[in-house]
Amino acid sequence: MRLGIVRGSVTLSPAVPEFLGLTLVVLEPVTMANLRAKNGLAGGKSLIAVDALGAAKGQMVAFTEGSEAANPFWPKRIPVDAYCTLIVDSITTNSPSLEK
Amino acid sequence: MFLARIDGTVVPAAKHATLEGCRFLVAQRLEADGSTGAEPLVVIDWLGAANNSTVLVSTDGDIARQHYGNTTPGRMVVVGIVDPVQVPREGTGRTS
Repeated sequence: MRLGIVRGSVTLSPAVPEFLGLTLVVLEPVTMANLRAKNGLAGGKSLIAVDALGAAKGQMVAFTEGSEAANPFWPKRIPVDAYCTLIVDSITTNSPSLEK
Repeated sequence: MFLARIDGTVVPAAKHATLEGCRFLVAQRLEADGSTGAEPLVVIDWLGAANNSTVLVSTDGDIARQHYGNTTPGRMVVVGIVDPVQVPREGTGRTS
């Protein structure tokens, strides 16, 4: 899973039936440099993910990519390739001085 | 599969129901030239990987499905902890 910050949401009209009722969020993946700096910036290339946890704008989430992102809808088959698996409360990382 | 260095822990505020009680760690992918990936990864660990240890991460969600059921979105799982003596001192990883 990568980490991402919720930057917004997406509403579809119309959409394929599988997507009806799903919440879609815009995620900006967080780079290691920004995570360490704790500056609230993300820095990655944004993507859209399904969110069933109710992540709010500005919150950090960890998202699953690939076919596993559709697992929560099993046995239904659904064209989802990114899914918010957890909302981050806090993250502890090694101090930058330990790096390299 | 790839090697990664454990770099921290994640405390979730909310998570998918299948991953209750799961341990989530921050991992940095290790490249052959000794550099690390630009983006941190959150991996599931049940082996008890220590901070700064080098681990093997599998991106196949099948092992997560076996543990947490067919509806789990879990994917990246620590499948082994690299014995420190096997990690070259130069080039890849480090023995801390």
